[in-house]
Amino acid sequence: MTPAATPLPKPPLWPVDMPLEPRPRGPLWIGVAGKGGAGKSVLSGTLARELGRRGHTVLAIDSDPMPGLAHSLGIPEPAEPLLMQAAEKPDKGPWRLRSGIGPMTVVRRYTTPAPDGVRMLQLGKAGKDGLAPVNGSVNAFLDTVRRMHEAPALYEWAIVGDLPAGPRQLGAGFTPYARAYVVVVEPTSQSAMTGRRVARLARGPLGADVIFAASKISSREERDRVERLLGEKVDVEIPADQAVRDAEARRVAVIDAAPQSPVVRAVQQLADIIEQRGMESS
Amino acid sequence: MKIAVAGKGGAGKTTISGTLARALARAGHDVMAIDADVNPMLGISLGLGMDDTERLAGIRQELSGSRADDVIHEHTIEGLIERFGEDAPDGVRVVVASRVDMPDHGCLCCGVSADRLLREMEAGGRTVLGDLEAGIGVLTRMETGSLDVVLVVANPTPKSIEVARRAVEAAAAREIPVLVVANRITGDADLEAIRSVLGDCDMAVVPEDPVIARADAEGIAPIDLDERSPGVRAILEISDRLTAVPA
Repeated sequence: MTPAATPLPKPPLWPVDMPLEPRPRGPLWIGVAGKGGAGKSVLSGTLARELGRRGHTVLAIDSDPMPGLAHSLGIPEPAEPLLMQAAEKPDKGPWRLRSGIGPMTVVRRYTTPAPDGVRMLQLGKAGKDGLAPVNGSVNAFLDTVRRMHEAPALYEWAIVGDLPAGPRQLGAGFTPYARAYVVVVEPTSQSAMTGRRVARLARGPLGADVIFAASKISSREERDRVERLLGEKVDVEIPADQAVRDAEARRVAVIDAAPQSPVVRAVQQLADIIEQRGMESS
Repeated sequence: MKIAVAGKGGAGKTTISGTLARALARAGHDVMAIDADVNPMLGISLGLGMDDTERLAGIRQELSGSRADDVIHEHTIEGLIERFGEDAPDGVRVVVASRVDMPDHGCLCCGVSADRLLREMEAGGRTVLGDLEAGIGVLTRMETGSLDVVLVVANPTPKSIEVARRAVEAAAAREIPVLVVANRITGDADLEAIRSVLGDCDMAVVPEDPVIARADAEGIAPIDLDERSPGVRAILEISDRLTAVPA
């Protein structure tokens, strides 16, 4: 059931594009994409924790240069990305993953533990000088995600990748691991247009499956509007839920603060879909 | 004058940019709106509608067209803007720097980027308004003095305020003046949440407005839906405020 690893060319310098040919991917390797503010991080963090509770070993990937995923997982934002320690700067050439370190070592040693057996891998956060101070981490991150398929043990893991707003990272090869994308769409024109664009990239050059999640839905009309603006059927409906706003204000995970809330129950439905489609794919 | 609009995804950058561009044009300015987001949607809030917005070409992709007979010979920023600019209502011109939703979207770091357009284009007598990509990436690639003002859009949520704080810091490091736009404000507690992090800065307040929400739901420009709604009026006031200061 584990696909054979294939040899890889040396990863290109960031942020040069990578070839978009699909690589072997695990059945539960997921990216979460959509417009800014659609609820990607809350959904990603809650989904990662839920999959952990179901007995999967989970890698949560935070590739947003802006703060996001940690709080939704229920952990504080790390001060600096652990991946810096796994990076080296050769005399000639850019930062890279230290030689001898592969994706599995990164996942074991350079990730932050979260509850329910989840581990969080971070790209690094941008400050006033952009990502330059954490370039080592960024390049080590890209080396890691582009070699994810080389680690046979990881095929048994679930991966939940929380992406920054818009299609940029999909287009630039930041998510070669994603077998399927959860496309998060609010009932607005801008969110739906982003959803269409992301889905087109995912199904086309990235060769991935798409699961549409209608987000912040408070009426049947809003769900219908998402489907009309998208031109697609919605797979799962995430209700507008005060529990999310309350948890965010307190900087805690909604799955800890309100485990019975409508949004957590909706994420459980999403986890069902992911498990089911993952089984069909393998 | 060169203006850029930054903030967290979903904070309202595009809605404020589009409405502000229309307001500035109505006040007699020659407005060039630059959609500097690789997920370009400024056309919607300028009033072009979803379909026409989807049809706007990105300069980068057009320039990196792979067929030899497609090569476009334009060597100047002005030439590119002239060629790719499209008309929007009230005499606004709009141009999309780059879009990353096509199978062949070109290289993200080579050729004409949103960063370069904003840095290098001369405002001349125009008012240039750049709607930036979510986060602070483009802002951190600007040089000192390449913009006259950055509008940092902040919603009263912890994450949005944190991104705004980083944007303000990035602008300050480049000596670019900042106007914070507190958006979707429902009361004093919201403003206090933003002020407690951003401190004593220049701030404009745009109230929560069902008209703007409905415009976004339907894909039309808020200024076309109801120009007297509280949110749209607040953005018109930002236009007055920006133009009261000599460029």
